[in-house]
Amino acid sequence: MAFRADTRDAVLPGGVYQPAPGVWDEMSFASGVLRPHWQGFVSGLSDLGTEELGRRWKTARQRIHENGVTYNVYGDPLGMDRPWNLDAIPLLIPPDEWATIEAGVIQRATLLNQILADVYGPQQLLRSGVLPASLVFGNSSFWRPCHNLKVAGDTYLHMLAVDLTRSVDGQWWVLADRTQAPSGAGYALENRIVLAETFSDLFRESNVQRLASFFRAFRDQLIALAPSRRANPRVVLLTPGPLNETYFEHSYLARYLGFTLAQGADLTVRDARVFLKTLEGLKPVDVILRRVDDGFCDPIELRSDSFLGVAGLVEAVRAGNVAVANALGSGLVETPAIMPFLPGLSERLLGERLKLPSVATWWCGQPAALNYVRENLNYLVIKPSFRSSRMEPVFGGELSAAQRDLLINRIEQRPYDYTGQELVSLSAAPVWSENSLSPRRVVLRVFLAASGNSWVVMPGGLARVSPSIDTPVVSMQRGGGSKDTWVLSDRPVDNFSLQVSRDLPVPLNRGVNSDLPSRAVDFLFWLGRYSERCEHLARMLRCMLGRLTRDSATVGSSEWDSLLAFHGCLETLNSRLVSDDPQGRLELAPLDLAEDFGQELLSLIFEEQRHDSLHGNLNRASISAAQVRDRLSSDMLRVVSQLNGLARTDNESAWGYLPTGDAISVLNRCIGTLASLRGIELENITRGPGWHFLSLGRRIERSVLLVRLFRSIIVPITPHTWPMLEMLLDVADSAMTYRSRYFTHLQAAPVLDLLMNDELNPRSLAFQINDLSAHCRFLSNSQAGAEWPFAKQHRLEEAAAKLFDADVATLCQPGRRVQLDDLLAALDAALPAFSDALTNTYFSHAELERAT
Amino acid sequence: MLYRVRHETRYDYEEPVSISHHILRLTPHGTDHTHIDISPRPPALASHTDYFGNTVTSFNLLEPHSRMVVVATSEVEVTPPAEPILAASPAWETVRDNVAFEACQYVFDSLRAGARPQFAEYALTSFTPRRPVLEAARDLTRRIFEDFRFDSKASEVSTPVETTFEKRRGVCQDFSHLQIACLRSLGLPARYVSGYLRTLPPPGKPRLAGADASHAWCSVWSPDTGWVDFDPTNNCIPSDSHITVAWGRDYGDVSPVYGVLLGGADHTLDVGVDVIPLDS
Repeated sequence: MAFRADTRDAVLPGGVYQPAPGVWDEMSFASGVLRPHWQGFVSGLSDLGTEELGRRWKTARQRIHENGVTYNVYGDPLGMDRPWNLDAIPLLIPPDEWATIEAGVIQRATLLNQILADVYGPQQLLRSGVLPASLVFGNSSFWRPCHNLKVAGDTYLHMLAVDLTRSVDGQWWVLADRTQAPSGAGYALENRIVLAETFSDLFRESNVQRLASFFRAFRDQLIALAPSRRANPRVVLLTPGPLNETYFEHSYLARYLGFTLAQGADLTVRDARVFLKTLEGLKPVDVILRRVDDGFCDPIELRSDSFLGVAGLVEAVRAGNVAVANALGSGLVETPAIMPFLPGLSERLLGERLKLPSVATWWCGQPAALNYVRENLNYLVIKPSFRSSRMEPVFGGELSAAQRDLLINRIEQRPYDYTGQELVSLSAAPVWSENSLSPRRVVLRVFLAASGNSWVVMPGGLARVSPSIDTPVVSMQRGGGSKDTWVLSDRPVDNFSLQVSRDLPVPLNRGVNSDLPSRAVDFLFWLGRYSERCEHLARMLRCMLGRLTRDSATVGSSEWDSLLAFHGCLETLNSRLVSDDPQGRLELAPLDLAEDFGQELLSLIFEEQRHDSLHGNLNRASISAAQVRDRLSSDMLRVVSQLNGLARTDNESAWGYLPTGDAISVLNRCIGTLASLRGIELENITRGPGWHFLSLGRRIERSVLLVRLFRSIIVPITPHTWPMLEMLLDVADSAMTYRSRYFTHLQAAPVLDLLMNDELNPRSLAFQINDLSAHCRFLSNSQAGAEWPFAKQHRLEEAAAKLFDADVATLCQPGRRVQLDDLLAALDAALPAFSDALTNTYFSHAELERAT
Repeated sequence: MLYRVRHETRYDYEEPVSISHHILRLTPHGTDHTHIDISPRPPALASHTDYFGNTVTSFNLLEPHSRMVVVATSEVEVTPPAEPILAASPAWETVRDNVAFEACQYVFDSLRAGARPQFAEYALTSFTPRRPVLEAARDLTRRIFEDFRFDSKASEVSTPVETTFEKRRGVCQDFSHLQIACLRSLGLPARYVSGYLRTLPPPGKPRLAGADASHAWCSVWSPDTGWVDFDPTNNCIPSDSHITVAWGRDYGDVSPVYGVLLGGADHTLDVGVDVIPLDS
């Protein structure tokens, strides 16, 4: 039924809204009239108008992209770092209805927690049969090593999420519980920040409850878990790493809550205590907020094939030296098979009726339920009872007769492995799409945090919408979107924000972030090396592309042979050049040779699969940055989020047809972006060990690249390949300086003097080595310097000193270049040796442990 | 029968191991006298009882080492259980339909011993309708002994029980997993038992040091008697020659030495077991 926003002239942005028939619509009654709690918001939206809403939302999406809010989709080659899909229209919930939800989920959290406490403790529920023992013993999420583990205050769940929807009659139902490491709270927070900024006026007027106090309670709860009585307990957020679907959220929450983001390899257990491996040695860890699933947390006592956890963690928990939130083993009650038992368990454990019903569920482990499922398969969705099964939910109604029989047969073989659930018709909410409002299915994820002996509920949540109104399932993995949730208040709202706390005096601290995991430093070091490599490659390619189109670069000319030789300096292993293929050379006409060379250069820019391409190296820089994203400022994040897109054409496959001018523009943009990254590094990062290692990575890389260019250009240069000198100046960005000093007299010695020995030229080798020594001085004198590889550093500096002491003019004489090459070779060997020594000293213990 | 058992495990690593974490299940049931000697010496040993009731010792080594030796020495008294009257046990269907709480967890699949239709079919030859559960289990033990050939080259630690079933050969671990999988395929609780077997030297020859080995068998639950052991490798009901160290759902729950290492590359493993009767 269509309607207009209200009887006065206000028109809904985009015009008419068409609620879906036979579905509860969150915004409008079936009659088409707005529900009362939407009227204020809709009228505000109408005041904005379609055009303004469209404009604001475009800006908002841009900001989501720049903030690097992403969600990874498994098994999708383009799925890594997919931009977060947020809808412009929040889901509104009125205060009285929220109170019902709040009470319902608090009761549910209490109940689930008590079930866990019993199953991992005295097991009275199992002995008495109130909870079928087979529901636990047949469940691969029941982790026996976690039985009788120490759990402070018997609180197993510190954060949990409950997925809710409503049926046609407006009743809220629980679809699923997420109890081990629920995701989404961080996304909900980011959604809120974006929406509150985009509709700042509307947000202020709507009296929306704020989220910050929820996170404050959560943080306080985690800090209070610390078993030791140290003044500043160390809390880490354990993440599976950047490949995880919600890694963005892990780094975002770690930053927001002020915890160190750690991967399994950053932690180590010694003598039943957990430590963080930092640049300055091992630091004790008191509390682990984990986003790693139960089974993956400890390869010794849990899943032996896991590389994500920490060997010995269970033993450390058993010894009472570390607290893990949620408690290990908490995933047990995520099984849908437990839902039919919750009403009875609630009566027994709490003496209360279950306030918020679960969607009707039948666990086939019970004969009566199995019968029901068999009879009513058409109206049910069949799910695996336990997580270990790789089975996807099956909709009974979509099966052929043969498939039906097959499924029933499978269920009868192992009934307890299957659970049937009623197909709920999810409610709908309006989304802003293609400049109008249209309904989509919606599921609301509500979050609770333990607080002392009770729970706080995040007043809001992550609403997720289906890609179309006809899709009966809502899943971010399957391309759904998300919404902010506004819980309205009839009282003035609490304005507390976690990001600025004005009341508390903060003790002054000059210490540069001392909890820098070694692994993070490793990636900073490689971010430095890769971004330097990218810039070098971009400059080399730009230089060659620019010359390729010159008239003088005809095949066989001095210019042409210099180009080929210059390309040879890239030491590319995957050259696509026909001329690099001994069989192919003679068959190509000169024009084809030039064409072939052009294609090779484009391939070196764009071909992602090529290990030696610019695209490949930008990806590596981007992956290194992703590993340390919790340590980068938002400005820096904005720049690094552009890296992996820099060497892409609009039409991914058509790079081979790109005009040279366009390719040069791509390279120019790339060089510009890399320069702004360097600028931020220089001007906006505190000079801590992380920055020094990042800069050290750059200096080492640039030195290596320069030394190799000198060896392959200056040492073998002949009058025929003289144009290479000019290219060398170009790549080292020193052509201007050279010209101002020597006009156009191009000679090997002055070029080498400018690029190798001139300490004032920031592109020279001497400058790199000087700066490298300065970083070494800082680091070896810092707390991290105890095992500094002085010997390798000195060998490098000696090799450099010998090189700089020699007379350049003499070294460049045609007969004496062997000596030049010897001196360069010594440095060429000393640089990687020093880099390896740094890796061995600081980063190697971050390598993976393995099972025997 | 009183025994002294010495169980030595030696790892030689190709490259030094910088850090390692280990857990051991080397303390036999029914003894307080297990001495565990580890080289290099770990800073501390911790011990706890696992979910199945076995004693677990854990430690870590923090100094680089190229060899690790674990020697567990126990004195253990084995009292032979009263010989079960197989024919007096309840019908297997009754046991299947009334599994007691303490045995319940052993009905379900575990990683190495899961129910399969072909196992059920094989087992049903012994488990004829209403046959007493222990009598049927004894018959199954005999059939596995007769139908399968002992062949130490046929399998390794990770050989799946389906392969054992197809190839009709294996070692004690495989036969135990198979018998357990057969029982579970019928809905009966069965568990894996690890331990040692006393071996007798050939007549007139002295006992050779280190000649004994770890052994494995299985155990079936019956309401009247509780757990009753069956040894499909030797076609017998264990008496006082079998020394029990640990039990669980399968080998994965009881592996004697397990570790996670940093470094080490490849390694070679040597195990030597001596079971010495102390009564004459």
